[in-house]
Amino acid sequence: VSSFSDPEIIRMAQEDYVPVVGDDWYQRRRDDAEGRFFRSVGDQGPKKGEGGATRQGIYCFTAGGKLLSYSNNVDPEKMRHAIQKGLTEWNRLPESERRPGALAVDNSPASDARYSRQPPTGGLILNVYARILDHDAKGEICTGSCKTVGGDRTSRDHMWLTLADWKSLIPVDPVRGAIIPLPNAIADRLAHFHLIDNTRGEPPFWQRGQVRSRHLDLVVEEISESAVQMRLEGEVHLATDANVSRADRGFDVSLLGHFQFDRKRQAFERMDIVAYGTHWGDGAFTKGAREGKTPLGIVFELAKGDAPADQVPPQGAREITEYFGRSNR
Amino acid sequence: LEREFMMFARSLVLLSILATLFGLEIPQGRAENELTPEQFDKLRALIKPHPGEDKWAEIPWRSQLWEARSQAAAQGKPILLWEMDGNPLGCG
Repeated sequence: VSSFSDPEIIRMAQEDYVPVVGDDWYQRRRDDAEGRFFRSVGDQGPKKGEGGATRQGIYCFTAGGKLLSYSNNVDPEKMRHAIQKGLTEWNRLPESERRPGALAVDNSPASDARYSRQPPTGGLILNVYARILDHDAKGEICTGSCKTVGGDRTSRDHMWLTLADWKSLIPVDPVRGAIIPLPNAIADRLAHFHLIDNTRGEPPFWQRGQVRSRHLDLVVEEISESAVQMRLEGEVHLATDANVSRADRGFDVSLLGHFQFDRKRQAFERMDIVAYGTHWGDGAFTKGAREGKTPLGIVFELAKGDAPADQVPPQGAREITEYFGRSNR
Repeated sequence: LEREFMMFARSLVLLSILATLFGLEIPQGRAENELTPEQFDKLRALIKPHPGEDKWAEIPWRSQLWEARSQAAAQGKPILLWEMDGNPLGCG
């Protein structure tokens, strides 16, 4: 991420290339035109994916699939060099290969449904941000710092709600002051897949038995002809061991949220949630957690859904049936 | 009624002793870090990306490789793919 803060890399990505991101977990598995195309490019570089290994890195290549340069070095100078080399190689190609429209690409190849994810039809996308926090000398909450490079930055993920999910949030006959338990499907997904410390990469998700207690309610605050306002409140206790003092990873977290439902448009206009608590421990791919129990905050808010970045699936959606609570795990 | 109350009280005492013996922590009514309405806006501002913090987000990343391929062919540009185990735009 820090490499893509380099002004020259940003300029080249904006002006000279078509920039795209990919999750190798899907790309190396999918058995369709996109997966085969990606692997044919990767096979020209040093990462050939033997034994199902990752092919992560920065690839510069043509629409026809010719690899121009590759780097898996996070040093901005080395990455800049690789991206510049890609342009040099591109400019060496004959004009007949480079001109706009030189290659016709099939616009609707079939996708391998097992390894391609689209936001649920009619559903909602929430942007999810997490950041390590701390307390300053006056005891006020502030941003935190850690030894892991980039671990003090905000992490990003998305949470998906299906059409049935968000409709289940609307009180049938709203009464001011009514307390409604957050529907289980949403509360489970929230606890297992989104109350996580992903500030240093991909953490393990919480297993079913690791949600030690969960109490999340919606409180109807205001009702008018045009809108229903609700407050989400509650707390969740997560730990890898029933004996919390022995748990090597855990999160004691309070949640507060503000929801607004437009009754005329039959749509949620606001779904802002803050989760704040003390987290401890790390996972196999997220080593370097701060010592002891330290503050972690997570924000959820509605995404517009029209930006390519909004379409990126939740990290937990790799196991899609578990993510939507359809398995008997 | 008195007998039932005594049985309930004894159960609570027994539960506390067992919890102490086995080191179990019974979840309390509130998490250690209480989240008050006054903290809501401050925490949101602290947690969300700060202006200028995520320079990489200034790049108009596409999220579908095949769409990027079509665009590159139509515009006569090469493709820059940022491939990670975990999507770079949504994995920590």
